[in-house]
Amino acid sequence: MPLQTRAEVFEQIFIIFLGLGTLVGIIVVSYTLYNAYKYRDSEGPTDDEDVPTLGELPTGGKGGKKLFVSFGLSAIIVLGLVLWTYTWLIYVETGPEGDNPGEDALEVDVEGQAFSWTFAYENGVETSSADQGMVVPEDTAIWVNVTSTDVWHAFGIPEQRVKADAIPGESDVTWFATDPLEEGDGDQVVYEDGIECFELCGAGHSNMKSDITVMEEEAFEEWLAEEEAAMEEEEEEDEAEDDANGDEDDDANDEGGDA
Amino acid sequence: MADDFPPMTSIKRWLVTTNHKDVGILYLVTAMFFLLFGGILALLFRVQLWSSGYSILSDSGFNQSVSMHGLLMVFWFLSPIASGFANYLVPLQIGAKDLAFPRLNALSYWLYLFSGILIGISFFQGGTFAGGWTMYAPLNVPMYTPAIEATTGGNATILALTMFVVSITLGTVNFLTTIHRSRAEGMGLWNMPLFTWSWLLTVWMMLFAFAALLAALLLLATDRILLTQYFATDQGSSLLWAHIFWFFGHPEVYIVFFPALGIMFETFQTFTGRRLVGRKWVIIAMVLVAVQSFLVWMHHMFLTTINLEIKTLFMATTIGISLPFDLMVFALIYTMVKGRVRFTTPFLFSLGALVLFILGGITGVFLGAVVLDYEFRGTYWVVAHFHYVMVSGVTALVAGLYYWWPKISGKMYNETLGKIHFAVYFVGFNLLYFPMFLAWDTPRRVFHYQEGMEIWHQMATVGAFVFGFSFLIMFYTFGKSLVSGPDAPDNPWEFARTAEWAIPSPPPLENWPGRPSYRSGHLEFVDDAAEAAAATDGGTATGTDLARADHGHGHELDTHEHEEEHADHASIWPLGIGLGVFVLFVGLGGMTSSVAALIESLDPAYAEAAGLDGEFSYLYSGITLLGLAILTYVLFQFGLEEFNAPEMAIAERWPFENVGNTKLGVWIFLASDVVVFGAAIGAYVFMRIYAGWHTWGPVPDHTWAGLLNTYILLTSSFTVILALVMAERGNKKGLLATLGATLVLGLTFMGVKTWEWSDKFAQEDFWFSGIEYSLYYVTTGLHGLHVLLGLFLASFMIFRIVTIDAYLEDSRPVEFFGLYWHFVDIVWVILFPLFYLM
Repeated sequence: MPLQTRAEVFEQIFIIFLGLGTLVGIIVVSYTLYNAYKYRDSEGPTDDEDVPTLGELPTGGKGGKKLFVSFGLSAIIVLGLVLWTYTWLIYVETGPEGDNPGEDALEVDVEGQAFSWTFAYENGVETSSADQGMVVPEDTAIWVNVTSTDVWHAFGIPEQRVKADAIPGESDVTWFATDPLEEGDGDQVVYEDGIECFELCGAGHSNMKSDITVMEEEAFEEWLAEEEAAMEEEEEEDEAEDDANGDEDDDANDEGGDA
Repeated sequence: MADDFPPMTSIKRWLVTTNHKDVGILYLVTAMFFLLFGGILALLFRVQLWSSGYSILSDSGFNQSVSMHGLLMVFWFLSPIASGFANYLVPLQIGAKDLAFPRLNALSYWLYLFSGILIGISFFQGGTFAGGWTMYAPLNVPMYTPAIEATTGGNATILALTMFVVSITLGTVNFLTTIHRSRAEGMGLWNMPLFTWSWLLTVWMMLFAFAALLAALLLLATDRILLTQYFATDQGSSLLWAHIFWFFGHPEVYIVFFPALGIMFETFQTFTGRRLVGRKWVIIAMVLVAVQSFLVWMHHMFLTTINLEIKTLFMATTIGISLPFDLMVFALIYTMVKGRVRFTTPFLFSLGALVLFILGGITGVFLGAVVLDYEFRGTYWVVAHFHYVMVSGVTALVAGLYYWWPKISGKMYNETLGKIHFAVYFVGFNLLYFPMFLAWDTPRRVFHYQEGMEIWHQMATVGAFVFGFSFLIMFYTFGKSLVSGPDAPDNPWEFARTAEWAIPSPPPLENWPGRPSYRSGHLEFVDDAAEAAAATDGGTATGTDLARADHGHGHELDTHEHEEEHADHASIWPLGIGLGVFVLFVGLGGMTSSVAALIESLDPAYAEAAGLDGEFSYLYSGITLLGLAILTYVLFQFGLEEFNAPEMAIAERWPFENVGNTKLGVWIFLASDVVVFGAAIGAYVFMRIYAGWHTWGPVPDHTWAGLLNTYILLTSSFTVILALVMAERGNKKGLLATLGATLVLGLTFMGVKTWEWSDKFAQEDFWFSGIEYSLYYVTTGLHGLHVLLGLFLASFMIFRIVTIDAYLEDSRPVEFFGLYWHFVDIVWVILFPLFYLM
């Protein structure tokens, strides 16, 4: 089976739901309005059946059979649709390559904090919404492990149809798959503000966004290696500094590590 | 005193009234005010959404607006307006003279009004609550508020909501007792009109759902004021809140929608001139929904790391709960078939509500498919969907306003104006909410959105103003009707069936010209005195048949009956209690800073680590004390007041034939209290399992102290039983001795508790020291508060026995007190092993 991205899965299901939903909606609403119009009060004689009277003990009207036929039909549509999506749910839950991240998958730890995102890669490289944001390779399954350091956020990339709640103390694991870059895209595509927060998290919620960049495979590897080298360089500098300053300045060390 | 009961034109009448129709009007008017309040907030943020990043509100101001819009509409508008209809109409529909506990009903109203005033004040206390109407943890606790001083407004919001929930709980006890015990002769449960049915199920759901919310709010309030840690940790706090909140939150959806559904059933039957198709199945469907509503809450949490099995289970229950609604929708549609549909304003609104509900329902099926839900979570799809559902409910409630307006006001409104209102309303509604489906990728509660969405958001903003304007037309229509509308006949609607249309518009104070009865299968007003006389004469019973009913004559009957059993309609003390709670809560809301100061002195190291920096507030401490003083005084007066609310002599009472009204009320109240404690204990179990059960041992050091307290409480249960025996025998000394013994035992319990706590404090284990300590102090503290309340009741009862020899002729209050006391003891029997042994 070719790798289906989350976006493809979503589009398929959404289109079917939208089509059927619109159809059912039009039929039911038209039928409702048709009945309302057809049986409008025409001032005619009212001798056809017993009409409700003031003060009667309530009883039901006639027409129960029709009721159950319509009810049964609608139940079948709803149950059928949802059961059909269940197979897709299993696919989404287990991942594109069977169980859990495959050999070629990229794993990224995502951390939400008021009001920014941090992305940690397997080799220890960290980026954040304050700099270039999330960087991922093309045509790859990317597994994200999402959490939060302060309040409840929700990590979402609408373009990729992926979302995960970022809850303090929990790690929410999910995945998405990038498409191959197209001709003319160059070696990377940047989606500005492609990552958004979907849970109200405080005054800065509205602006808690991050860019996401999809790179060519090789460009990505290169980028990751460069970042790693830069990181190591910084660490060495810090160590050198530490050696010079002695152990006293812990705070400065922490700041250095984050920069 | 009914005789000097002030007329409706007097302001005093509205302050003291306990009559269900008056209270209903108060609810309706107040709810309309909060509709405007919530609506104006919505207009504010719709203006901000005109273009991405456009700003007329501060960031926090925007969050406050969306949060309070949600809270006000869901709590202070939707349920109260339904409550207003129910207050006015349920007693009329079932043939009762009033609710079972009229004073309690007035108290519900005043707590509601004052809670709303408290919300209003919160805006001026450094900003109101800004964490969304769902109040997710841990954003809802003070550590994420910029400064301790700025927590006051948020505290006021949480306390106002707590007060509102108390009001709801009292209301549910009242309505459940009324509907189950005050139905007219011949009206079985199955025979109740559908509005009453929908309200009965609403209050049953409210009883349990709001109790869970009450527990959540109490815990949240202790977090915010006493700085405990329930929702502040990263060890399960967020999920704890989500579980309790949605356990309440999903039934709440049906709680706000059911009354609207009931109105649709009533108006459809009246204006189609047909009885509801499949009535029995509709009722069964509603009962199913009411039960199942407590089993779907996790579908709000599909993305919160719950496992696939549970997701599947909740997907199934969610789909399951949508099916009964299909049935109800088709029942409404088929009721029109072969009918005589008259497009009056109330019918147009009901039909509109049905159409909107169908669209809301279809878009809801999308959310039931978990894969789609993943992507819709937190977006405008959800916003659009639930507005289509809930505001379709509002549409039906507006239908109810027009339908019952002639009955309540005694005036007819102008149909043309009503129809214009409907046209503007319907266009505005769809212009407002439909574009939200098209802009669905926008995250909720943001004002920076993607380019390309702008056109939809602008349409929605225009729609919001059109929709808002339509309500001005409504107010004008009703205002004009009041000033110059023609008088309404008893029944302006052909084919109306329910009893409220068989009496004058507006109905007289005591509602009925004689005793309503359905024993012949049809409403008639029975003159019991005449019937008794006729029976002794050997004649046949005489009933005043509706067709022959003469209302002038009816009035005489009314006053005649009045001499037999006098019913009170006025009490000022419900208003007083509302005021007392209000002042107390205003004070408590400002106490965070003082508690922070206290913590600084108790445990400076902790305070520094947590960044606590507060000053003792003389102002708020003073207000708190003042509130306590007022409350003590008014509760005492409330207890002393003689208030006669006669039970109906002849009534349908299935399934509670053999329980008195008050006893049933106490049972129902205790049922809700079970859920409050259940949620608090559930929180303890949840947090402890989350941490790993054996991560903590028992917090209290002395198991024997807990055991001793268990024995003390069990003994006190025994003395309460003896007290009842003494009261039944009319033995004053024995009653005093046994109640006195109960009091002493209760005080001993509290004494042991105090010693235990001070011993823990001496070891520097405080309520804020860690989650395990918060759980221990708050859960046992909640129980302690119940004991304390019981002790106040016992003291009051002793006072009454000494002063007026109370309970010797009627021992029932001792029994009711006993029920409460046993319940408190049972809770302790559960708490003891959980906190001392495990």
